[in-house]
Amino acid sequence: MSGLLLVARRDYLGYVTAWGFWLGLLLTPLILGVFMLTPVLAASSQPARYFTVIDTDNSFSRAMQAELADRAGSSSLPPAELSVAIGDPASQVSPPLLLPEFIMVPPPAIEPEALAPYLSGEMLIATPEGPRPLFAALIVSDDEGSIQYLSENMQAQALLDIARAAERKLAEERVFAAAGVSSRLIEDARSARRDVVAQRMRSGTLSGASDVTLQDRAPFIVSIALAFVLWFLVFSVVNYLLMGTIEERSNKIFDSLLTSVRLPQLLAGKLLAVLLLSLTLIAFWSGGSTLLTWAVSNRLPPDVLNQLSILGAAVLKPMMLGPALLSFLLGYLIYGALFLALGSLCDTIQEAQTLMTPLIILLMVPLFMLTIAMDDVGSPAIYGLSWVPLFTPFLLILRMPAEPPLWEVVAQLGLMVLTTYAILRLATRVYRAGAVHGAGLGDVGVWFKRLLPGRARTKPNDRA
Amino acid sequence: MGKDTPLEIREASKWFGDFCAVDSLNLTVEAGDIVGFLGPNGAGKSTSLRMALGVLAPDQGQVALYGKPPDLATLRRVGFLPEERGLYKRMTARQIITYFARLKGLGHRAARTRADDLLEALGLQAFGRHKISRLSKGMAQKVQILTALAHQPDFLILDEPFSGLDPVNQQALESLIVSEHQRGATVIFSTHVMEHAERLCETIVMMAQGRKVFDGPLQAALRTVRRSVRIEVSEGFDLAACLAQHGFRAHADDGIWRVGLAADQDPQDILRAAIGAGAPITSFQPEGARLRDVFVSLVSAPEADDVLSQKREPDYAGGGVS
Repeated sequence: MSGLLLVARRDYLGYVTAWGFWLGLLLTPLILGVFMLTPVLAASSQPARYFTVIDTDNSFSRAMQAELADRAGSSSLPPAELSVAIGDPASQVSPPLLLPEFIMVPPPAIEPEALAPYLSGEMLIATPEGPRPLFAALIVSDDEGSIQYLSENMQAQALLDIARAAERKLAEERVFAAAGVSSRLIEDARSARRDVVAQRMRSGTLSGASDVTLQDRAPFIVSIALAFVLWFLVFSVVNYLLMGTIEERSNKIFDSLLTSVRLPQLLAGKLLAVLLLSLTLIAFWSGGSTLLTWAVSNRLPPDVLNQLSILGAAVLKPMMLGPALLSFLLGYLIYGALFLALGSLCDTIQEAQTLMTPLIILLMVPLFMLTIAMDDVGSPAIYGLSWVPLFTPFLLILRMPAEPPLWEVVAQLGLMVLTTYAILRLATRVYRAGAVHGAGLGDVGVWFKRLLPGRARTKPNDRA
Repeated sequence: MGKDTPLEIREASKWFGDFCAVDSLNLTVEAGDIVGFLGPNGAGKSTSLRMALGVLAPDQGQVALYGKPPDLATLRRVGFLPEERGLYKRMTARQIITYFARLKGLGHRAARTRADDLLEALGLQAFGRHKISRLSKGMAQKVQILTALAHQPDFLILDEPFSGLDPVNQQALESLIVSEHQRGATVIFSTHVMEHAERLCETIVMMAQGRKVFDGPLQAALRTVRRSVRIEVSEGFDLAACLAQHGFRAHADDGIWRVGLAADQDPQDILRAAIGAGAPITSFQPEGARLRDVFVSLVSAPEADDVLSQKREPDYAGGGVS
């Protein structure tokens, strides 16, 4: 076995036999799962919020009732589950996903001053769930100048938005009624509105357009997921390189190694070990997900299985998988080499942290771009930054579903290859300086000074 | 440069910034030699050895291992113990010896067998499955020495092998070096403890301030300083005045007289002169030249003092599992 493979094997076994690796392997999907499910669980477990409306003619109450019903109707829940009745706490509106449930109750008091203790929680109102605090009160003044929204919680804006929408419709009705338009006509006008249906252009002709389905959205979803997985893998595994190199430097083991393997072999072996480590993570997580899906496939509804198979097929498309694999490999090499070089200059983790900060900030940029891609993958920011080789590994994947011109894909991959080569060369030099000559953080400043004009180092041979 | 010569260094210099660590070094280690590479701290010993191994490239001059610039093929014939010791702390002693043996070209099974044999030979088999982090410093150092021997090298380069070892383990290491030499290995080791070199070496190379100040057989080194005679006489007797009449110069230190001997003089001449002058001699002892004296005379005095004071305060580390 060559020195490179022996170094890779030793490092790889060193990583995978550490309990921290297995902890991360098992906990990461668990934490990610909790992270993704938390908003859903939080919304579904959120207690119902009770509010009241004080108006003399009940018109605003009815408008609120209609608005709540309208919003509930637009959710994915079946209409049979929806019912609204003013003053009946038992009747409630099931909210759309991630929105809290609002229930209108009769006012416990008429005057704002008298409502204050209910709103502050000092006094409770009677509900079918038992005594509960009043979340908000809407008071419609007689002069119709404004509607007061009173609540302790000014951060939760959902009910306020519902109230504003209800008042907008009520105002329309008032104005139309004053102009002699019947309420039936207004209702007809509203129901006559047309749906705006999203369609995707195909083959460059209108005749090729069709409704947007999951099949269309799957590449975008998958590209974001792949970019995130790549980012996550790079972010997590390059730390192993950093720690391993710092350990070797602090253990003074370089000289022993360098009489047995050449320095490029040593570097390549280390990079290979951590690449294998990340492949182990991918294999474990994807294998685990496949097994889990297979195990529960009998219990999953057919449409969910169908959706999963559509997403799976999108991952395996060559136009997605090819650039994704290349991006992963090159991105890993770029960041791996940078962290390896960084580790070779540091004796302790504390030292490494001072140099890590700019690299971490650099790695945060693609993560920020992921959030932009969720709204608009064609954003100029994503396009522009995808030409920066340090970000290309993540952003090229994001661009692939939009089917960018082939020359752009090839050019960006080419730039990445050149950058990877340059960074590997640079990292080898830095690694040699750190591992062989014992260069430290203080030397980084000296190297930068040497780059200044007129401060180039005199070669020792020139002096001798 | 001969392909059978383990090491040849020709006019090699190494600079670190403005500091010249090694200046025009010429050094040849012949097959079968045990060479003591002596010098105070900062003399350029470690830099020279790292150049010999190709870890550092000389800024000028040439280095050859077995007639070729150091490469992986020639380095497979070399076992190296670096001055700065270090091992992977989470590996066991057996694993790490096997690992380095494999890096030097042994197969998996052969490397493992060799590791077991070495551990057994040094009575360390009980610690073979202990992680390095659980071993004492001295014990870990012994394991590191075994990593240098694991592939049965033809040429051993040991940089300060005795530092950090207690006297018992220093003695054990001396025996190990002798046995490796008897096996046929060529050995060069750096040290600033003269006694090890005196006991082990046939050839001595001395460095000071990056320059070689002596290179030759141990006996030739010893001949570079004068022998002396140690004489004790009854209190109050002026031995200097007595011997001056016979052309000998004596000086007293704490009541003990020492008289230097020229290369062609015999201690018996001094004894006869002293008795003839009626000196009340209570003790008479000829003293051979010591490598320490050679060192002091060849290396500048302040540097030698530093080294010798370090020698008097050895860094002991006990063996066993911590």
